[in-house]
Amino acid sequence: MQLLVSLLVLLPLCLATSEYQQLKSLAAAGNGLIKLDSISFDILTSPKRSWSASIQLTALDKRRKCNPCNQFDPSWNTVAKVWSKVPAEHRDNHFFATLDFDDGPTVFQKLSLSSAPVVFVYPPAEGPRKPANGKLSPSKYDFSNGFEPGPLAEHLSKHTPIPIPYQEPVDWARWATVAMGLIGFAITLKMISSVFLNRWSWALGTVIVSLVMTSGYMFTRIRGSPYSGADGNWIAAGYQNQFGQEVHVVAFIYGLLAFSFLMLIMIVPYQSSPQRQRLQVYLWTGVIMIIYSVLLSLFRVKNRGYPFKLFL
Amino acid sequence: MSTAYPLPTGLSPATVNNTASLLRIVALALISGAAIASRLFAVINFESIIHEFDPWFNYRATKVLASKGFYEFWNWFDPTAWYPLGRVVGGTVYPGLMATSGVIYNILHALNLPVDIRNVCVLLAPGFSALTAWATYMFTKEMKDESAGLLAAAFIGIVPGYISRSVAGSYDNEAIAIFLLMFTFFCWIKALKQGSALFGTIAAVFYFYMVAAWGGYVFITNMIPLHALVLMLMGRFSHRLYVGYCSWYVVGTLASMQVPFVGFQPVSTSEHMGALGVFGLLQIVAFTQFVRSHLSSTQFRSLLNVGLFVVGIVGTAAFVGLTVKGTIAPWTGRFYSLWDTGYAKKYIPIIASVSEHQPTAWPAFFMDLQFLIFLFPAGVVMCFLELRDEHLFVIIYAALASYFAGVMVRLMLALTPVVCVASAVALSSLLDTYIDPTEPDVAEEQVPASTDTTTSPAQAVTTTSKKAKKAAAAGPPPASTPLTNLIAATSPVKKGSPPPPKGIFGIDARLVVVLNTLSMLFFFVFHCTWVTSNAYSSPSVVLASQNQDGSQHIIDDFREAYYWLRQNTPETAVVMSWWDYGYQIAGMADRPTLVDNNTWNNTHIATVGKAMSSSEEVAYPILRKHDVDYVLVIFGGLLGYSGDDINKFLWMVRIAQGVWPDEIQEPNYFTPQGEYRVDDRASQTMKESLMYKMSYYRFAELFGGQQATDRVRQQVLPKVGPTLDYLDEAFTSENWIVRIYQVRKEDPLGRDLKSANAFEKGKKRKRSKPQPRRRAVA
Repeated sequence: MQLLVSLLVLLPLCLATSEYQQLKSLAAAGNGLIKLDSISFDILTSPKRSWSASIQLTALDKRRKCNPCNQFDPSWNTVAKVWSKVPAEHRDNHFFATLDFDDGPTVFQKLSLSSAPVVFVYPPAEGPRKPANGKLSPSKYDFSNGFEPGPLAEHLSKHTPIPIPYQEPVDWARWATVAMGLIGFAITLKMISSVFLNRWSWALGTVIVSLVMTSGYMFTRIRGSPYSGADGNWIAAGYQNQFGQEVHVVAFIYGLLAFSFLMLIMIVPYQSSPQRQRLQVYLWTGVIMIIYSVLLSLFRVKNRGYPFKLFL
Repeated sequence: MSTAYPLPTGLSPATVNNTASLLRIVALALISGAAIASRLFAVINFESIIHEFDPWFNYRATKVLASKGFYEFWNWFDPTAWYPLGRVVGGTVYPGLMATSGVIYNILHALNLPVDIRNVCVLLAPGFSALTAWATYMFTKEMKDESAGLLAAAFIGIVPGYISRSVAGSYDNEAIAIFLLMFTFFCWIKALKQGSALFGTIAAVFYFYMVAAWGGYVFITNMIPLHALVLMLMGRFSHRLYVGYCSWYVVGTLASMQVPFVGFQPVSTSEHMGALGVFGLLQIVAFTQFVRSHLSSTQFRSLLNVGLFVVGIVGTAAFVGLTVKGTIAPWTGRFYSLWDTGYAKKYIPIIASVSEHQPTAWPAFFMDLQFLIFLFPAGVVMCFLELRDEHLFVIIYAALASYFAGVMVRLMLALTPVVCVASAVALSSLLDTYIDPTEPDVAEEQVPASTDTTTSPAQAVTTTSKKAKKAAAAGPPPASTPLTNLIAATSPVKKGSPPPPKGIFGIDARLVVVLNTLSMLFFFVFHCTWVTSNAYSSPSVVLASQNQDGSQHIIDDFREAYYWLRQNTPETAVVMSWWDYGYQIAGMADRPTLVDNNTWNNTHIATVGKAMSSSEEVAYPILRKHDVDYVLVIFGGLLGYSGDDINKFLWMVRIAQGVWPDEIQEPNYFTPQGEYRVDDRASQTMKESLMYKMSYYRFAELFGGQQATDRVRQQVLPKVGPTLDYLDEAFTSENWIVRIYQVRKEDPLGRDLKSANAFEKGKKRKRSKPQPRRRAVA
């Protein structure tokens, strides 16, 4: 708000000073990031610009309920801040700016934007850095690499006079966690080496790994599937798709079925009482039949054309 | 001793033995028959035809091999692929598959059986599946016994996870590779068990065959060293391991380097370093063992500590140094993407674009393995129960392969054998327990196991419950009755051990479990038959649909179009299409192509992607520079064929964007709302792209004023379709699946084609409009 006021005060002055000077001072005032409104937007993107600019069009106000905007904003500010530290002769040829929807709805209309955030990069229209192919229209940043500052800086570096010297911050917390985890693991290992050296703990580990992997865990990791659907539905429609919750359910079903078989093979034959043994045989066979039917009905939901079913 | 059901008496052990082995042979023969037969759906439902994409190249190469001989094939330079670059086929191919069918072809012809090379190729995969069943039988026999082996053979014979890559006509490297994989593993286990250099060498020879046949050989290259490493870490180093591993590694590596495509990779790339490292480690451990036998224990311990330290530092430093220097190449993209799963999508979209490189959702696992998928963990636990050296192999294989299969659909193929083996072990243990007729003695059972020393005082009974179970699993009582002879004869691995405190009481408990298991097996058979006939037997060159009366209707657009090219175009006419169709065009139309399924040159593919995704004016110079005469697109909108080029279009855009990020941008092909549309609301860039224009050119006319609906994307096309100035429609197949366009030559008067076209249509050139900046390249 303060900036806006100062901007209004500045407006008459800027008729005298050149637009360029004005932008420079605005950038300096905003710590390398210009906060735009619809007027300064036109100045920044004037057809006679000798500078380039990258502009974030966003809607940060809570009422706009733009989650991605708020997620992306810190990355944007980080990159702008890094840029403000490069030598002045390069820095002043490229501006970083943010336009909030509430400050300039007309700009959004003019650009016919219906979603935010959007990042436009305006190449210089005049001067030595004018693009060779003569394309002056802005290019849009593709968010397919996520909201992280790394890919953003990498992309913008193609348009800035010198590459943005952005370095991924060292994630000390993460390294510390890993180190602590390793030390803790080593200590526990020493204390419970009997568990570590026990074949059954390894068996458990192997079985869990194969259960989780064959339930499509890697699919959800790679595709970034949500844990469950928006409407509370936990089964994703379609044969080649699944939600995170399906991994749990399917792994549990597989595990239960495998466990029933193991009971039948490894425990039931050692029962000394015929009655108890008979009961267990029937119990585990029943469990296998019912759970298998459940699994099949689940599979029929995923694969509609599947013709077979058991009891369910 | 009481039995649950009556048994024949008076049988000599020899009779039982002979009958059992005869039954085994008959069962294996039947399994082979079933394995082959279930793969013939494709031939019966369609015809004897090569399937899909890659097989067409293999088939073409095999034809060269069969007609011109091996040396011609070896030196074959194919100028028609990757026009204008060409491809050195002999040095860029795994020749094992072609060589195998070439040998079979020549043997058959030497026997005066004039079989067509195509039929050899079509039926190679089913034939080898029978061998795979046998190899799996041998492998599982080493894990448990013959009965488990037979079950495993039956499973792998019909399991859809393997059938998907080996139906008749699916003439691909995997067709023979799974047999080689299983047989190499069998030989390795045998070499390890017996410490036999002979089996180690046989394993190496089959490893060589595998290297010559499939890029997946790297799985063996890492699996066997990993097994050896784990054995060493568990303190199970033995001279058997030393002999088996060294003979396999030395012979196998030297042999594998003879394949030109592999060359010096076994000593220079990271994928192979594990095997080399374990080989070195094995020498050190063996040497240490030798030194230990000559030194006192304190001297030895200090020597060991210093030695391990020095060797560890030097080895790691050497590896890191060589990697940094570039002598050891880092992991190749395909393998690296297995570990860092986001890698491929970001840096090598061409790998990520292949449908079989997608991650696997759980229904795919169930579809391909059905009830084996949940028996498999049980089988792994059974392996832990005994935990002999060879069981460790199955355990490692299980953990690794389930991860890999989760990351990439195509690696389901590597998981399938171990699933079959492990579930066969579990199921056969179950059946062993519940078919065994021996009724346990109730009175005896009432004595708790922990004090159970009175029953057999002669033998030291291990008393903890788990060990008792383990011992119990090992065998029948040594009492000499016909019954025990029968059991002993049918289960030769079981040796004499204390009487089991286990068994099943009564016939009904047995029946319940056995019938349940049998019905699951039957269900499995039905499932496999259904999946194979419905999902995995389509050649994808020929499509099938149902007429209204339920009879089959064959859609043969691909071959129609390819034969049109063959008959109506000069032999030198260059055809541009997306890379998926390169091998088919080369194989069926016999015309030069710009790019094909051997995706080795990303820039060339991106060039095609750029031509397809830019406007006509931009694409035309590219087409002319590459001498393109015809452009071929696949369009499914009329028929509802979803695997068409519009659906693949975004990958073309992405791959082109990777090379020309300034000219092609993916977001431009979406509507402002971020939707991928082809109707009125499609973005301008989309509507102007060559691919869009070629797909929907004159599409609306077909509907004669009605709404033109794209049946794949369920969208209504604009009434006025796109126009083409630089291309002429040359051919459109019956169901519009294949559309071929001829690239126009430059205008003889030097005008650009757009204004020439406008002139011919009688439109006045508007003076007010500036001339298009891009002119055709002279």
